[in-house]
Amino acid sequence: MTDRLLSGSDRLDAVFGGGLPRNSIVLICGRPGSGKTILAQQYVFHNASADRPAIYLSTVSEPLDKILRFGQSLDFFDPAALGTKVIYEDLGQTLNEDGLTGALALITELLKRHRPGLVVIDSFRALQTYAPHPEGFRGFLHELAARLSVLPMTSFWIGEYNGADTSDEPEFAVADAIVSLGTDREADRDRRVLSVGKLRGSGSMSGKHAYRLSSAGLDVFPRMADPVEFDRSGGSHERMSTGVPALDAMVSDGFYRGASTLLAGPPGIGKTLLALHFIFTGAQHGETGIIATFQENPAQLERIINGFSWSLDDPGIELMYRSPVDLYLDEWVYDLLDTVHRTGATRIAIDSMGDLRAVAGDEIRFREYIYSLLQRCARADISVAMTEEVSELFGVTRLSEYGISHLSDNVILLQFLRGDSQLKRALTVLKSRGSAHDPSTRQYEITTDGIVLGDPFDPTQDMT
Amino acid sequence: MEEHPADGVYSIGAVARMLGVSAQTLRAWEDRYQQIVPARSTGGQRLFSRDQVDQLGFIRDQIEQGLQPADAHRLLAQQRHEDAAALSAVESRHGESRASPDGTITVLLAERDRHAAEFADYFLRTEGYAVRVVFDPDLAAEILRDEPPSVLVVDLLMSGGAGLALCRTARDIGSVPVLAVSAIELRDQALAAGAEAFLVKPLDPLQFVSTVRDLVGTSAYLRRAEGRR
Repeated sequence: MTDRLLSGSDRLDAVFGGGLPRNSIVLICGRPGSGKTILAQQYVFHNASADRPAIYLSTVSEPLDKILRFGQSLDFFDPAALGTKVIYEDLGQTLNEDGLTGALALITELLKRHRPGLVVIDSFRALQTYAPHPEGFRGFLHELAARLSVLPMTSFWIGEYNGADTSDEPEFAVADAIVSLGTDREADRDRRVLSVGKLRGSGSMSGKHAYRLSSAGLDVFPRMADPVEFDRSGGSHERMSTGVPALDAMVSDGFYRGASTLLAGPPGIGKTLLALHFIFTGAQHGETGIIATFQENPAQLERIINGFSWSLDDPGIELMYRSPVDLYLDEWVYDLLDTVHRTGATRIAIDSMGDLRAVAGDEIRFREYIYSLLQRCARADISVAMTEEVSELFGVTRLSEYGISHLSDNVILLQFLRGDSQLKRALTVLKSRGSAHDPSTRQYEITTDGIVLGDPFDPTQDMT
Repeated sequence: MEEHPADGVYSIGAVARMLGVSAQTLRAWEDRYQQIVPARSTGGQRLFSRDQVDQLGFIRDQIEQGLQPADAHRLLAQQRHEDAAALSAVESRHGESRASPDGTITVLLAERDRHAAEFADYFLRTEGYAVRVVFDPDLAAEILRDEPPSVLVVDLLMSGGAGLALCRTARDIGSVPVLAVSAIELRDQALAAGAEAFLVKPLDPLQFVSTVRDLVGTSAYLRRAEGRR
């Protein structure tokens, strides 16, 4: 047996630095509806065994029948475990008749009889009302903590505590770990976030981690803030085709495998098309590529693709379309990583960064996530192409508003140029990290074969 | 112990008829002792396996021979954990077990934490041991010399290093095996001072009781049950 109490969810365990410390007191705080009871029951059913059962004690704010009735709708709720592995008991009546002293005696009795590995008290905060005065509650708290620490078991104390309570309530001093479930206001919507307030004897992931509640329990998306910068020189030195032969020649025979490339340009210039070149070229060479798009739904994308003799039915293509409505950045990034894991993809096209930025809430978080995502991809030799819309139709003066161009290994600018009463498309390699590149601006055309690069413009061309 | 639902064959009514024990009693045993818990059908009906019927038959026989239902269930739990070989080994060592002449096995529990003492006392008593709890190391040393127990359980963190001193006292007396316990890892110190076993707190009840049982040579309950045969 390890010294960690696991939840059944790797991501949740990772937030706690590998699981909650076993044989500790864990305080779970949050407002009504934040998922405290669901989280506790997740641990209960994952850890309970006939030898080391879990005891779930309801107090007075939440009747036992109600906890059970709602519990039934959870996937992991196992009625066959009731009474043997999972024991539900109601402390309410004892509390009403004999107060905290009676509750303490009953808890002691239950510990002796069942020898549990996990004890949940829901709601713990409701116990306060049974103390004649604050010192009385403190006394009860220490008596209870002393009993709970005598046997090898973890206990969860659940309460509707606000953030403002945290420093004053004695529970917070006694607890070994504090888990808060709350919400973050983001534009017009609330985002559920889990944070770790205290974790004795262990490191944990800092900050707020988005989570979702479903019948499968609490699904957390740990905040991405990968600290270590990946050293490109330590990465792959294999070159890979961009899908446009003339462009490969401009960047010394293609991009490095594992590199990230920003494709920037105004609407209609062909950014999506260049990203598709990158993906379908990979597929032709047996590499799986993910098209992660918010812009075109599958039917729309199919129409575009069919114009260029490609097909979404290609086995090397994984389409990941997500509507930007009600999308959460955290979920999306994990969704993408799961898709990479499932398909073994080595190329990803993200179309577009603007859509992701719009759902990210704040800019710092957006940069952290994209930075972490690109780092993880680089470490795994997965190449990423990202499209980014610039607002100026002509004479692009600014590239990325959120610093993505700094995070990218390569930056390619696509723009419209005027001259000779004609609208021309132009491509420039602005940056190609770790390799020499052709600095000229080249004209290109979109044909049924896709993007076809032409010659550099002559000096008379107006570049503004 | 996992029971696959497919193992369940007999309804509670059938088991009651087979054993001559009322269904009400069977349900009460299940609730109270959690030893023989039948599988449930999808409709929630109890389904007992052949093994469980045998076990219930064993319980019934023990009660008919004069054991309390609780003791019979404990005896069953014991037997389920020990295979026949271990049992016969215990019987062969019968003569050398550390019980006092009246068959009582006494545990001297020298503790510093009253809650830890309360639980340890409870778990030992439910296994049939007589327990004497002391919080004063001097008193513990006195008892060790004057009325040596069958086994000493000592918390090494008793005030002023008295725990290790008690281990040495027991070693000097020679006949009292020592189980040392402590919230921190002091295994080497404990063994060097003469303890025969060491456990880190918090103590797992099953492990604790089985360690004591190993030190005294046999289970208190088993001895009594054997004595009655």
